Amino acid sequence: MSEGRREQEGRDPLLRRILTGAAGALLFPLLAILLSFAIGAVIVLATGNNPVAAYVALFNGALGDPSAVGRTLLNATPLIFTGLAVAVAFRAGLFNIGGEGQLFIGAVTAAWLGVSLGFLGPLAIPVVLAACVITGFLWGSVPGMLKAYFGAHEVITTIMLNFVAINFAYYLAQNPLRQEGPIPGTETVDLAARIPAISFALGRANYGFFVALLAAVAVYLLLWRTRRGFEIRAVGLSPGAANYAGMRLGLNTILALAIGGSLAGLGGGVEVLGTYGNMDVPFVANLGFNGIGVALLGRNHPAGVVLGALLFGGLYAGAQEMQFATDVPLQLATVLLAIILLLVTATKLVEFIVGKRARALASGAGTRLERGLGS
Amino acid sequence: MSDRVAGDGASSKGAPPVLEMRGVTKRFGAVTANDGVSLTLGRGEILGLLGENGAGKSTLMKILYGLYTPDEGEVFLDGERVEIRDPKDAVSRGIGMVHQHFTLIPPLTVAENIVLGAEPRKGLSLNLEEAVRATEELSERYGLKVDPRSRVADLSVGVRQRVEILKALYRNVRILVLDEPTAVLTPQETEDLFAVLKELVADGLSIILITHKLGELLGVSDEITIIRDGRVVDTVDAADTDEGELARLMVGREVLLRVEKEEVETPGGVRLAAENLTVRSSTGALAVKGVDLEVRGGEILGMAGVDGNGQTELAEALAGTRPVEGGRVFLDGADATNLGADARQERGLAYVPEDRGTKGLVQDFALYENNALKTYDEPPFSKWGWIFPKVMRRRAAEALRAYDVRPADPEARAGSLSGGNQQKAVLARELSGDPGVIIAAQPTRGVDVGAIEFIHGQLLKQRAEGKAILLISLELEEVRSLSDRILVMYAGRIVGEVGPEATDEQLGLLMAGRGVEEKSA
Repeated sequence: MSEGRREQEGRDPLLRRILTGAAGALLFPLLAILLSFAIGAVIVLATGNNPVAAYVALFNGALGDPSAVGRTLLNATPLIFTGLAVAVAFRAGLFNIGGEGQLFIGAVTAAWLGVSLGFLGPLAIPVVLAACVITGFLWGSVPGMLKAYFGAHEVITTIMLNFVAINFAYYLAQNPLRQEGPIPGTETVDLAARIPAISFALGRANYGFFVALLAAVAVYLLLWRTRRGFEIRAVGLSPGAANYAGMRLGLNTILALAIGGSLAGLGGGVEVLGTYGNMDVPFVANLGFNGIGVALLGRNHPAGVVLGALLFGGLYAGAQEMQFATDVPLQLATVLLAIILLLVTATKLVEFIVGKRARALASGAGTRLERGLGS
Repeated sequence: MSDRVAGDGASSKGAPPVLEMRGVTKRFGAVTANDGVSLTLGRGEILGLLGENGAGKSTLMKILYGLYTPDEGEVFLDGERVEIRDPKDAVSRGIGMVHQHFTLIPPLTVAENIVLGAEPRKGLSLNLEEAVRATEELSERYGLKVDPRSRVADLSVGVRQRVEILKALYRNVRILVLDEPTAVLTPQETEDLFAVLKELVADGLSIILITHKLGELLGVSDEITIIRDGRVVDTVDAADTDEGELARLMVGREVLLRVEKEEVETPGGVRLAAENLTVRSSTGALAVKGVDLEVRGGEILGMAGVDGNGQTELAEALAGTRPVEGGRVFLDGADATNLGADARQERGLAYVPEDRGTKGLVQDFALYENNALKTYDEPPFSKWGWIFPKVMRRRAAEALRAYDVRPADPEARAGSLSGGNQQKAVLARELSGDPGVIIAAQPTRGVDVGAIEFIHGQLLKQRAEGKAILLISLELEEVRSLSDRILVMYAGRIVGEVGPEATDEQLGLLMAGRGVEEKSA
């Protein structure tokens, strides 16, 4: 082969790699975000408000001052965990809708052990969080086993197990773990055994955020630097080829869902030890379900999940400010998020709006996403 | 009606050709699949469309069938410029297509399948008698024998294909496109099909026959248009050409159609053996019903048979990717029946699966990941549960170069490669571990002629090195030219053993399950 030809062959994939790599992966969600803000502006106008003022308030509420940043980080922290829980399972070709229940299992574990091990002080924190990982792992393995041994579809089982987990957690919180007093919920974990706040200026944002970042790094290493991750990705992309290569489909199915469960469980533990100090009834809702959106937005990549969670967290934080400053209701944040997700998942729609070029640039991950949703 | 005219003869006579495609160009991103392609199909003519995989035949036909819109160029039907919007539009204009993979619904009857989507009605309900009557009439008129009331699930592949053709005829097509119709047929069934096609053109139908098999086109088509790299290379009269010329036009250089096989001294000991092996297919039916075989070192054992007679299940059971129902598998004399695929691989078994798309490769993995698909858990790729992508990349780069995979870029996504290069990537992985036993299931399916040469060369090289090779193939020519002995499989059983000198006739009868007499050795 001549030198010139080899060079030519080398150049093309490199270019494509860059385009479909980080830049390409970011471009598409960014377009979706911009578009949804444009659509949101129309909605704001329709409610008789000034979209510029609304968006300035939204931005200020999300990033305008340290306390705003703190709120954004606080909101984003659990979503990183639940987003990762979806992403890991997705890499194995599984749709984990059970993040909500898995988070509740972790939260009730933390509420129970946080109180009973509170005498250990700060030493209790790693012990309790490890316990959350374990209970989340066990709980997540249930739909995995149902799938591996009985062929039960994980979408159905994870959805159903959410109800079981949530009600089981509430039962524990209201009965054996119930605190004295009129408010239903568990006893509160001793301050010494709680995850400390990062700094006074950032408000309630706590070191749980860094635990979440560590979890994202761990997930990255797991997926791309370990045998298990290699198997999980192979099983997810091509069960036939994985089986042909001698990998065990059932084992990887169970592990992927269980690892997802352990991440969401850890998220529940961080919520209790970091943010709330106990588990109230009702406990904070929808963190698990929003994790699905975060994972979709983040293209099931740990770095994308972190960015997606920050966007979700920022929008929710900013929407409160926007409601104070203008008459735009809090729900606009939810509407914006819904539109962003619609645009990210409905790639054809964006193709229609911005033309095919953008889609070609961002193809790599988008098609995989559709495939996953279609299955 | 029977005025058979050559393509350009039609226009010179004044009557426009049934179909003319002029300067058709279709691009997908940076790839130009069709580059100014023109072809002409005269009334009552069979046009052969010849080209390697990825040459652009399918794209062109998808344009004709309304699945793609051309970027440039025009399509004329009976001299009138048309724009075909979608398959429904194509059908209403009299264009029918028989795909490589059938689009029949197995639980329905023949008649139901044929009228599906254009059902005769009685009030609100389906007029089944009318459907049966129409099917019988068509079947009689064109000599395509089928029983309208039998369930498609119970029919053989050859008959299913007839149903597909009848389905098109029921919609009054004038142009029939057949995509690789002989891939699933025995030699005899192929002859039957061609007899039917000749009858159809005698009746005024025009046919485009897509294939990459050189020989068949000579027997049946009037003209042959050869496509290479998206361009029409030439259109030749089938009467004035031969296989050598067609191969040269198709590939762009001289091609060795015959494989040079050296004599190997008497084969060595038995390295792979099966004893009374029974295997179930994914549907639960017995697919392999008591197969005995022995492959010796330095020998290629060919396995001929029509697709779907248990060859796939046999290969998978031997390789360990499918559980065995009964019987035993031996690797180098040791019982391997209960070993998994990875344990067998560690004992020197290489397996080139017939389906590189869904088994041999993870399409969305990079080539370096695919190259380590079986050895990712062994040093030097792995230690203590961690994997080392850098080492994988380096090893893959060497293997890809050694097996002439293009591009030899370890980062390239497997799915972005052509069929031939994907197959070479599979070979690079399977053969570079210096295996003792090789199971090659249809190693050249959907692979271009150049890659076929290379793959055959590699298999013969392994044979010369004393490896035991089981070659499973649907291509008789391939089995004959490479094998030292040939087993024929039919309905899950080995129905005969012949030497490589066996004729098409002999093999064909065995493949059809007839003349099931074990040849006395």
